[in-house]
Amino acid sequence: MITVALPKGRTMQAALERFARAGVVPDEDFSSTRKLIVPASSAQARFLLLKDPDVPLYVERGAADVGVCGLDHVLESGADLLAPLDLGFGTCRLCLAAGRGTGVANGWRSGESGAELGRSLRVATKYPRLTARAFARRGVPVDIVPLSGSVELAAVADLADAIVDLVETGRTLEQNGLVVLEELLQVSARLVVNRASYRLKLEELLPVLERLGGPA
Amino acid sequence: MDGLDERPKDPWRDAPAGAAPPQGTQDLLFEAARRLRRCESALARVFEAHGFAEVIPPAIEPAEVFAEASAGGGAGALRTVDRNGRLLALRADFTAQVARIAATRLSKMSPLRLYYRGSVVRESDLASGMPRERLQAGCELVGEADPAADAEMLALAAASLHALGIDPGGARVAVGTVGYFSSLIDAAGASPRLARALTDAIDRKDLPGLTLLCNREVPPGKARDALLMLAQPPRPQTEASSLLARAQDLAPNDAAAAALRRLANALHAAQARNLGAELEVDLGEVRGLGYYTGLVFNLYAAGAPRAVGGGGRYDTLLGRFGDPRPAVGFSLDLDALVPLARPA
Repeated sequence: MITVALPKGRTMQAALERFARAGVVPDEDFSSTRKLIVPASSAQARFLLLKDPDVPLYVERGAADVGVCGLDHVLESGADLLAPLDLGFGTCRLCLAAGRGTGVANGWRSGESGAELGRSLRVATKYPRLTARAFARRGVPVDIVPLSGSVELAAVADLADAIVDLVETGRTLEQNGLVVLEELLQVSARLVVNRASYRLKLEELLPVLERLGGPA
Repeated sequence: MDGLDERPKDPWRDAPAGAAPPQGTQDLLFEAARRLRRCESALARVFEAHGFAEVIPPAIEPAEVFAEASAGGGAGALRTVDRNGRLLALRADFTAQVARIAATRLSKMSPLRLYYRGSVVRESDLASGMPRERLQAGCELVGEADPAADAEMLALAAASLHALGIDPGGARVAVGTVGYFSSLIDAAGASPRLARALTDAIDRKDLPGLTLLCNREVPPGKARDALLMLAQPPRPQTEASSLLARAQDLAPNDAAAAALRRLANALHAAQARNLGAELEVDLGEVRGLGYYTGLVFNLYAAGAPRAVGGGGRYDTLLGRFGDPRPAVGFSLDLDALVPLARPA
């Protein structure tokens, strides 16, 4: 029995299609059930429906054997996981952005990295760990403002000098007068696997992994 | 009366300091304590039946003893300064302590078969759920460089799991060698930064990430092809010969070829010791404590979400204490194993 952690939300449909191609099909339609665990009995598997950021912990701690999760959440969680496949969908970029024409935006372009502020750069984000790492790598001191949503607002409402957030099309940024200063990470959906499951259930998992990773 | 059911009178007030043990530690009460002791006794019996004798090192050491004792520097010792200004560390790793003892007081005795049980304290990412204080038991075999010694420790590690009542069908011993990987790193002329990135990608079986790194930063050639092979899935020991043959074909230098020959010899010797289906070969087992030089292995058991033990060969660690002798050993994670165990 393989337990698959799937993220609710925009990548769920693409993930389901990919698992269907690997022969793992849920017994019930996810959109019409309120169940949180849906069996896929023909493949001796079951799906757990979770929020995207929770997938890495479910898999790391063995409540699920495999999971589908954006690389952003995989890295932000710091979970100790195997990540053998890039599933290719759910692509976007994790970016540093700030208000167009602000001192920070202009300074970043000229390589000042917020030095003109005379204090640490305040950066709002849902990704405190990745943000801290990105700034540490550049040697820029940063004051992280951890938020749980509507991160663009923080830059517009002057809670922060800049933001680190996912950018898909860039339209939300544009409408709020923000510009991308730097791309920090290319994100796509990854298949993550529990370290012990990978050893103990390899015979069950390998055919699924091969078909998930194979050509369409 | 369950204290958790009591409504706090003032929700803003914190519990008094010292009311709970530090995060990542625990109190073992009654049946939990009995279970731990039963498991420790079962393990001690197996270790002693195989000719190992117990040592009990102190709870604190000069901090230098544990300098290499963390994997990737991620989980360091908890340190303090004593009244003489000496930097001390709580025991972070039994192997380093046993190496110190073997290299100093026991330097005239060879081979040495030593075992230990107790707890180690390592500062870890508390959000990861890894305890800070970890209960361990383990064995070290000092003074034997032969692959037969590697096989002896693989077999003893497997026997330890059996002694805890863990079904061989639900156990895996994943075996690799850091010697092959480090020879590839040398052959590719990789910088320490690139070596770390490669280790990380291989350790995560991250083939897309590994491919990207190799294409961008490793010159084409045998070493690159061999590195790319390391993210492959493990093979049962019975099917490992083709994997090892391919790795041998791609070996870019004598050191890599020698590391593989050693691994093949150790596997062969392990087979002779009736280590069966649970043994598997994974050349991507590259993560381990900083001092490993050859064979590395990790133990897995059904019901535990991460490795329940591991070990390897460390032929240079004793030299740091003035007695350059080869050694190989393993430790078991009793926090993970005790809940699964049904010792006889």
